[in-house]
Amino acid sequence: MRILIVEDEKPLADIVKKGLEEEGYAVDIAYNGEDGFFMAENEPSDLIILDIMLPVIDGITILKRIRKAGIKTPVLMLTAKGTVMDKVSGLDSGADDYLTKPFSFEELLARIRALLRRDSGVKSSAIEIGDLLIDMATHEVKREGKTILLSAKEYALIEYMALNKNRVLSRTNISEHLYDHDFDLDSNVIDVFINRIRKKVDRGFRKKLIHTLRGAGYMLKE
Amino acid sequence: MVSSIKVRIVLFYLAILLVTLSVMGNILYFSLHRIVYAFIDSSLLSRAKALATLISEDIEDVSDDATFIREDELETEFNFSDEIMWEYSSPTSTNYFQIRRVDGTTIEKSASLGDSELPFYPVVHSADFQTTFLKGRKVRLVNFPMPKEGVNEIKTPRYDIVIQCAEAIEEKTSILSRFRMVLAVTVFFVVIFSAAGGFFIAKKALEPIRNISDAIDRVSETNLSERIADKKIADELKRIADSFNRVFSSLEMAFNRQRQFVSDASHELKTPLSVIISQTEVSLRKEREPGEYRAALTAILNTAGMMSLLIEKLMTLARFSSDRLILQMEEISLNGIIDKTLKLLSPLADEKRILITMPADGSKYSVYGDSEALPEAFVNIVDNAIKYNVPDGRIDISIRKEGEFIIAEIADTGIGIQEGELEKVFDRFYRVDKSRSRASGGIGLGLSISREIIRQHGGRIEIKSQIDKGTVVSVYLKGAKYE
Repeated sequence: MRILIVEDEKPLADIVKKGLEEEGYAVDIAYNGEDGFFMAENEPSDLIILDIMLPVIDGITILKRIRKAGIKTPVLMLTAKGTVMDKVSGLDSGADDYLTKPFSFEELLARIRALLRRDSGVKSSAIEIGDLLIDMATHEVKREGKTILLSAKEYALIEYMALNKNRVLSRTNISEHLYDHDFDLDSNVIDVFINRIRKKVDRGFRKKLIHTLRGAGYMLKE
Repeated sequence: MVSSIKVRIVLFYLAILLVTLSVMGNILYFSLHRIVYAFIDSSLLSRAKALATLISEDIEDVSDDATFIREDELETEFNFSDEIMWEYSSPTSTNYFQIRRVDGTTIEKSASLGDSELPFYPVVHSADFQTTFLKGRKVRLVNFPMPKEGVNEIKTPRYDIVIQCAEAIEEKTSILSRFRMVLAVTVFFVVIFSAAGGFFIAKKALEPIRNISDAIDRVSETNLSERIADKKIADELKRIADSFNRVFSSLEMAFNRQRQFVSDASHELKTPLSVIISQTEVSLRKEREPGEYRAALTAILNTAGMMSLLIEKLMTLARFSSDRLILQMEEISLNGIIDKTLKLLSPLADEKRILITMPADGSKYSVYGDSEALPEAFVNIVDNAIKYNVPDGRIDISIRKEGEFIIAEIADTGIGIQEGELEKVFDRFYRVDKSRSRASGGIGLGLSISREIIRQHGGRIEIKSQIDKGTVVSVYLKGAKYE
């Protein structure tokens, strides 16, 4: 899943990016409001973490513009402004969640998971596809009760596919949501990753869950 | 002492009233006293004169050519006619007379005296009045020395015979005691009513004070932004209300500044705190290489360092914006302050190869200021001029006098500030470009601090700027008086 951080405090943005990347998320950063708005409009983010006090354009204005432009990406406000009025104004402007600084990184992760889940219509932190179980809270993947060990990026791929189960996902789509802005889209790295998780998830099982649709992409389906 | 204003007013008022009433009562009483006694005395005197006339007629009858009355001749009984004597003859009459020789021996006395005698005073030169007691009754007595040549020749009196005439005066003087009684009762009731009235008036008079105190209570209980605006407040107390309103205003401003400061400060501290927490949490999520821990710790240290700088600056700002008293105003050389500032900042300027000029035309300018606070103000301004300057830029500093103000102008060749941003540069934590100024160590408090300091000195700061041309900061300070 790809997350856009709009935050002018570089040290904070950088450490949050690092922590999220270690969780398997792809992360882009915008250090001011103008860049933030541009990237929110033009990059296929699954979630936007948005500060309020930003240079050039403030967070609330960005949020209103994003929503006016019809972008429905979940937005998590992450700001030092912690009064009730601030929260109300943020949520009323179209934010999906509001977290005040200083925050716990664990809580930020939990809220990100909840928002991504809600966005794909999944109610609990575990997704089941046939006998495949993906626990988004612990990043545990099991098939027939047996744990499958995956790297962070492999997990991110299976989770993204699970959240979009029964939908055909193009290579471009997958790479856009798994990798940040700096990733070279021409690379066939997606095919490599698909092959790797196929080996781990489908090998040795009669029923195949990862399907290849020639010329269109991949799909996770029961 | 009695602490209640009301009681004090009433007591004071009653004291004045009592003094006034008693003076007035005494004057009235003694005037009446004099009138009553004058009346009694004149009637007594005319009686005595009547007796004198009778006696002299009698003497003439006894010896026609006598030029003086001999003692033996006076032994004779006088033949007073009944019509004159009847008022003295009854033993129960309250009119008395006694005729004596000058040595005091009695020649004749009225029947009304019975066994008693009128008190006698040997040396009497003219008609002399006394109040005395006779048979338990209060009487008025006249000692009238009879003139020998007749009643009308008092000028050359002969005191062979003294006529004493007396009268019980209780009845006539009872008007005085009655009058005194009436006065006492009147005074008593006047005092009672006045005390009640005094309390009422004092209460009425103090009511506006109670009103204003209630109004003050309401303001301080509910909301400092409210003001005393009661129509019931008397004109005389409007000034108190105004004073209190001014006090409330400055209190409210101080409170708001304080609140704003706390909110700003906590806001500014939350972000670096978030960095520290996130760095730690992310680092602890899994085992890492020593190099990674080192990087995380370095980041945490840097952030903590920034926080402590921020806290220090916040304290400076709080000090200068809240406590007027800490400034030690003295005559101080502005040239000296700027020299000191430049010395302090020259390493920074050298790093960016910025040329700082200050015309040394020999003119010295002195201002009234605090020798610690003023350099702080200038350091922040010049520091900004360096930070937002272009490499190889210039800073031109000049000082001039304009009226009562000494103006120090700091002109840089920096990036400039947009028109709309000019107002905001004094706002706490405002940075034209955060990431850029953070990189140069700014935390957005410098100009706020400078402005507070200059304001505390009774001066002001003006800023003019042109994008990409530079910024001119003018500091107006009050010049030292004798220059």
